[in-house]
Amino acid sequence: MTATSPTVRSIWRGGRGPLLVGLIVLAVAVGGVLLAGIGGGGRSLDPGDSTLAGSSGLAELLRHEGVRVERVTSADAAARAATAGSLLLVTDLSFLRQDEVDRLAGLPGDRLLIGPGAMHPSLAPGLAPLSGTEDTARVRSREPECALPAAVQAGSAYMGGYSLRGPPGAIGCYPADGRPTLVSYQRDGRTITAVGDGQFLTNLRLTEDGNAALGASLAGTRPTLVWLTAPETLPELPGPEGKSFTELMPAGVSWAVIQLVIAVALVAFWRGRRLGPVVAERLPVVVRAAETVEGRGRLYRARRARDRAAAALRAGALHRLMPRLGLVADSGHDAIITAIAVRTGQDAGQVGTALYGGPPADDAGLVALAAYLDTLERQVRDS
Amino acid sequence: MALTGRAGLLAALAAVAVLLAPRPGLALAGAGLVLLAFILTDLALAGGVRPLRFERGGDRLVRLGQTATVELVATNPGRRRVRGVLRDAWPPSAGAAPRQLVLDVPPGESRRLAVTLSPTRRGDRESVKVTVRSLGPLGVAARQGSHEVPWSVRVLPPFLSRKHLPARLARLRELEGRHPALVRGQGTEFDSLREYVYGDDVRSIDWRATARRHDVVVRTWRPERDRRLLIVLDTGRTSAGRVGTAPVPPAGTPEHAMPPGWPRLDWSMDAALLLAALAARAGDRVDFLAYDRAVRAWVSGASRTELLSSLVNVMAPIEAELVEADSAGMVAAVLARAKRRCLVVVLSDLNAASLEEGLLPLLPQLSSRHLVLLAAVSDPRVAAMAAGRGTAERVYDAAAAERLMAGRRAITARLRRHGVEVVDAPPEDIAPALADAYLALKAAGRL
Repeated sequence: MTATSPTVRSIWRGGRGPLLVGLIVLAVAVGGVLLAGIGGGGRSLDPGDSTLAGSSGLAELLRHEGVRVERVTSADAAARAATAGSLLLVTDLSFLRQDEVDRLAGLPGDRLLIGPGAMHPSLAPGLAPLSGTEDTARVRSREPECALPAAVQAGSAYMGGYSLRGPPGAIGCYPADGRPTLVSYQRDGRTITAVGDGQFLTNLRLTEDGNAALGASLAGTRPTLVWLTAPETLPELPGPEGKSFTELMPAGVSWAVIQLVIAVALVAFWRGRRLGPVVAERLPVVVRAAETVEGRGRLYRARRARDRAAAALRAGALHRLMPRLGLVADSGHDAIITAIAVRTGQDAGQVGTALYGGPPADDAGLVALAAYLDTLERQVRDS
Repeated sequence: MALTGRAGLLAALAAVAVLLAPRPGLALAGAGLVLLAFILTDLALAGGVRPLRFERGGDRLVRLGQTATVELVATNPGRRRVRGVLRDAWPPSAGAAPRQLVLDVPPGESRRLAVTLSPTRRGDRESVKVTVRSLGPLGVAARQGSHEVPWSVRVLPPFLSRKHLPARLARLRELEGRHPALVRGQGTEFDSLREYVYGDDVRSIDWRATARRHDVVVRTWRPERDRRLLIVLDTGRTSAGRVGTAPVPPAGTPEHAMPPGWPRLDWSMDAALLLAALAARAGDRVDFLAYDRAVRAWVSGASRTELLSSLVNVMAPIEAELVEADSAGMVAAVLARAKRRCLVVVLSDLNAASLEEGLLPLLPQLSSRHLVLLAAVSDPRVAAMAAGRGTAERVYDAAAAERLMAGRRAITARLRRHGVEVVDAPPEDIAPALADAYLALKAAGRL
């Protein structure tokens, strides 16, 4: 038999080792993921998140101090929880619609706005609008340099980010380049505090400097803290009649897409299956014999070796001229120059310079020399 | 197994059906099952590839530039018809065509298929595998399998210079005195006595024999016969450099991708073949040695009729080795093989550096016992570069080319002082130039 295709048995024999290794790798990966628990990547400044980006540490600290921490993820929930004696902590507004933000602005109680995502004119009236990245300062440990009791008590804290400018009468703390990154002021009978960056509240930074004290002092001013954070899953954007895009799509489309994927896979297998092996061949080396000469030419050019180039050209020209002049190689220079001058009618001095002179001063001189030698050869040949 | 475009097309059409169906999930499952059923049916009903039997026949030898035909007989001992495509896989430089053959073998029958090879370079080409894709009756899926059916084709040097042979043979006949114009043979070896005929040179009348025979008898002369000739081919690194334009360009090669000429080795082989053909006709014994750091090929004592075929046969697989040739070893190999005086023709390169270090110091050993002729292929591109003028770039190149040519002239002069004949010619002229040099030596009686 001449067949060389693998049989089912030979495929199994050859493939079981790699298959086993693959299965082990898969099992380890799945097991590792299951053991580690399905934790999302940290949700920034979430009081219920215990990763380094979350703020569960601060929430726990506040609960210890007797503050009721209400974690809310929507404007509705915030409105239900907020009272005149509560503090609304906002870190992000990107998941709220404009009417929801306006509703938040109408809620009673104090406000603590953390980070640029929470700065909204309706939530922080009078605060200067932020513009561009030139207002961003590096986040690092900074001194309070102000009279705000919470800041004085806490001392240095991990602050920076957006620099702020409050309305007249506002207290600005933790200045970066002379502009405060924490602003606190009174407006309509409530205290509004805005902070340029929220990193000092995260579990990562809470234990450094006076971060914990500052966070607790800022967030723990009222018996109830309403902590607004982004929901885990954003609600789908409702289209007309309250239907989202996927709801409007016919049910068959997603199935048809699956079928198309199958079709593409089949076409890929059809095109990808080779008829027979790829044949490799040991090829001879391909190198032009003239390569060394070309390399030498480039070396001459790179080094501007006009002396050597001129000498080679002169030697070549003389070799071709000699037999035509009836001279031999060891004839004297003068005899050769005279013979050429007589044959061609050229000036003997010029011929002598061309054949035995110094190297040309520049590349143009070399080109001219080559052309002149050619002329001499042609005239001797034709005469 | 393999699928066809029909499988993909069916799956794509099924996507439309799934899109329009009232129960798309069911439609998807149904389409998948139908497709799977089609594929399985085809795989089950396709003719078996494994039991197929193959036999080969056809050409074993081909000259570079010509085409060989290799036949493949496929026998189907199974019960089902094998219908589909077959690929006979050869290395790319074998130039196998067509790429795919249509195969249709009814059960119990055989079919003869032919693959045409147009090789693009010398050497042995071995077939790799025969792969058959046997389609099922629905044309959706196919069985695929391979068989090993060994066959090798030896691609011989093309011997392009044989067009120069008739002219050289005519000159040879002239030398031997067998020319119709009754010119006296120019050789120095006494051949025979024959009767004088009108037109013979009176100086060749042998008076002593004439006195004995009562008839005017002339001596005839001919060049020496049964001389020895050893052709030494240098297969070292200098023989790998490509010169001239390849006379047998690979088919379908675009202009810009043309290989830069032929290796010196191939030109040298061409010249060696013309020289061997000529010397064999002249009645000389020709031996052949290919050497770089070891003996690559050795042909000795081939009869006149077999010489050329055995030469091309041993030359075919020789490739240039990318090592510096070992001249001492080469000289030793020549001295060990050539016991009697002979003409040693070394086909190498006039590379000043490698000759000065390699062959030159050893030449006295060789030239004291043998007549040495060194033939080298010059590079026409260097000559073209030497004529470059106009820009500084081209003048510098011209200077480099002049320098190389001066080096070749110097080494040629040194070799001639050592009593070595030198033939230095561009690739297209090296074979006739070498043949002429040989004829000149023969005419001068220096063999």
